[in-house]
Amino acid sequence: MPIQYYLFLSLALFSIGIMGTLMRRNAIIIFMCIELMLNAVNLLLVAFSKMYNDPSAQIFVFFSMVVAAAEVAVGLAIIVMMYRKVHSVDINILNRLKH
Amino acid sequence: MNAYELIFWLLTVMAISCALGVILSRNPVSSVLFLIATFFAVSGHYILMNAQFLAIVNIIVYAGAIMVLFLFVIMLMNLNADTEPQKNRLVQLAGVVSGGILFLVILAALKSSTNNMLEQTATDIGLIKNLGKTLFTQFVLPFEIASVLFLSAMIGAVVLGKKGEDAGA
Amino acid sequence: MKAIIAATLLGVIMMFTGLFVKDKRQVVMIAVIAFLALLGITIWEVQDASSAAPAMLFNNMLRIDSYALWFNMMMAGCTFLYVLLMGKDIMRVGNHVAEYFTLILFILCGIFLLTGYNNLLMLFIGIEIMSIPQYILAGADRRNLKSNEASLKYFLMGAFTTGLLLMGITLLYGATGSFYITDFTFLRTDALNPMALAGILFILISFVFKVSAVPMHMWTPDVYDGSPTAFTAFMSTIVKAGAFVGFLRLFHIAFGSLSEHWMLIVALITAATLLVGNLTAVFQQSVKRMLAYSSIAQAGFMLFAIASVNASAWQGMIIYAVAYSVATIGLFSVLIKMKDYTYDGFNGLAKKQPALAFFTTIFLLSLAGIPLTGGFMAKYFVLNAAVQQGGLLWLVIFALLMAAISVYYYFRVIIAMYFKQGEAEMAVEINSGDKILLGITCALVILLGVAPHLFLGSI
Repeated sequence: MPIQYYLFLSLALFSIGIMGTLMRRNAIIIFMCIELMLNAVNLLLVAFSKMYNDPSAQIFVFFSMVVAAAEVAVGLAIIVMMYRKVHSVDINILNRLKH
Repeated sequence: MNAYELIFWLLTVMAISCALGVILSRNPVSSVLFLIATFFAVSGHYILMNAQFLAIVNIIVYAGAIMVLFLFVIMLMNLNADTEPQKNRLVQLAGVVSGGILFLVILAALKSSTNNMLEQTATDIGLIKNLGKTLFTQFVLPFEIASVLFLSAMIGAVVLGKKGEDAGA
Repeated sequence: MKAIIAATLLGVIMMFTGLFVKDKRQVVMIAVIAFLALLGITIWEVQDASSAAPAMLFNNMLRIDSYALWFNMMMAGCTFLYVLLMGKDIMRVGNHVAEYFTLILFILCGIFLLTGYNNLLMLFIGIEIMSIPQYILAGADRRNLKSNEASLKYFLMGAFTTGLLLMGITLLYGATGSFYITDFTFLRTDALNPMALAGILFILISFVFKVSAVPMHMWTPDVYDGSPTAFTAFMSTIVKAGAFVGFLRLFHIAFGSLSEHWMLIVALITAATLLVGNLTAVFQQSVKRMLAYSSIAQAGFMLFAIASVNASAWQGMIIYAVAYSVATIGLFSVLIKMKDYTYDGFNGLAKKQPALAFFTTIFLLSLAGIPLTGGFMAKYFVLNAAVQQGGLLWLVIFALLMAAISVYYYFRVIIAMYFKQGEAEMAVEINSGDKILLGITCALVILLGVAPHLFLGSI
């Protein structure tokens, strides 16, 4: 299997994640799209790890999971805190800060 | 086309279509389920590349812990109805176009950057023993430092999530 | 290395303090002692460094040279000053005082990693340790909707750039097969893999976000304006300096040999940052929001250190980071005591609080880059580095023009304080302790302007 196939698959998933973050208004969905982006990167890392026969890229995947988990804990707490205030997770309310 | 390639294409189609499902479905709960399906497809790719341990960890951590957390939050907030207001068409189009352009540009740039083939032979770098050895020798410092990250995430969840402080707002 | 361990351990101790010590004042006292201890340890580490050779630690994960140690000491010193000046204000933000100090210590731990990383994994973890506590601190004032919004906005944007950073690191790994930044020096200009270039571009974009430079600056005014003022002071100064030193290390050590590929992009980003930051700052009505835009403009000057690949740039980075941090922290500690954050809120401050108005004037002069203050020397160092680099003369002239514009909005505050009638109301009482501390901060600003070499050590 050429490494390009994995590169393209990963880039496709990454771009879908970026499209999602730009398209949606629900903060939770945007956050999920970011998780999708991180997963696309993980896939690419594993493919490179196989290509170079080097375990350190797979270790890197562990740490990206660690960071994702920590971000989820904080991010969902922030979203819940916001929801308690305004009873919405629509990011358009963020525009109010501009004034 | 042998079985290996067949599985590869099946998983690829599944990953991409489920990823599209995440961003296109109106209902947040089905978005979560699509994302979990994507993670399973990605895990399948990990197994194809002899990263068995990561495949399992991916399912346990992402599908099992992170997405369950998402699901909890969505259900607690009662967001399972299709209540999300849509961005206007122009903004959505701009999102698709910019994401698509990014994809095409990088694709064109990297088309011929490498021509390595991934061998289909089995390697054992993805086994727990090898990964553990690498993690606890070469990568022991990041392993320890990552605890600071978790500790701050824990503090964050408490500081931001604890009830009883918002009264009077 | 000692500094990293100390920051972590002191953070844990601080966390338990919150459990056992209920009186907020005592928590602040303990925090001051903790930050003093951290400063002491960083000083000890500087003294202890036996040779000029950098220490390679943990299978080359960290490469701690004398620059890293010195920068750590400066950052620990600035943070100590920040805690002294703003400890009481942090106390008023919310109920979890000890946790706030814990998070600040953890952020410092992340900054210490960024000054000494030698592996992209350490860079990644360092940036995350620095960022995640910031999302929390931005939302610390839970009663205030603006603070919640700032936190959510910062978090979503920050998580997005984390994805970009990871993609960049991965592409770079795909091109080179290594995560060690010293291994990238073999990337030669003539046979450059497009994958490596794409990776560098992704990493550049995520760093541009972290240091809030144009075009990734949109979050800055909203987040800095919405966050509790006590934490804005920290986020816009010390954290920004930490992100910059990570930026500097990566682009000078790892990609220094490729500078012709990214130099023009960084130069254009610098020009855009200076232009947007300074011009928008002119139109602000709130001093806090003006300071947010001014922090974008100041980031433009710090980008000069990135754009010029030479030793003076490294010196300039330290001087700029310290001069900017000290003056801005001082200014924020005055601002936080005001009732009204608009320019009109400063009307007549000179009559009511002459000492406070005088100190504010010194800080503003320093930010504007008037001679005899730290800001002047800082601008001199970074612009000098750019001149030595050559080819950036147009940018230097442009920067001088922009510095002239910045004088307008900084002096508006001075004019409001001295020449306008009004009743500048204070939100809290100013005691003599505050004045002495502000005086010391002022003295530091002047000292930086008169004898900057004291702050460079043997660098």
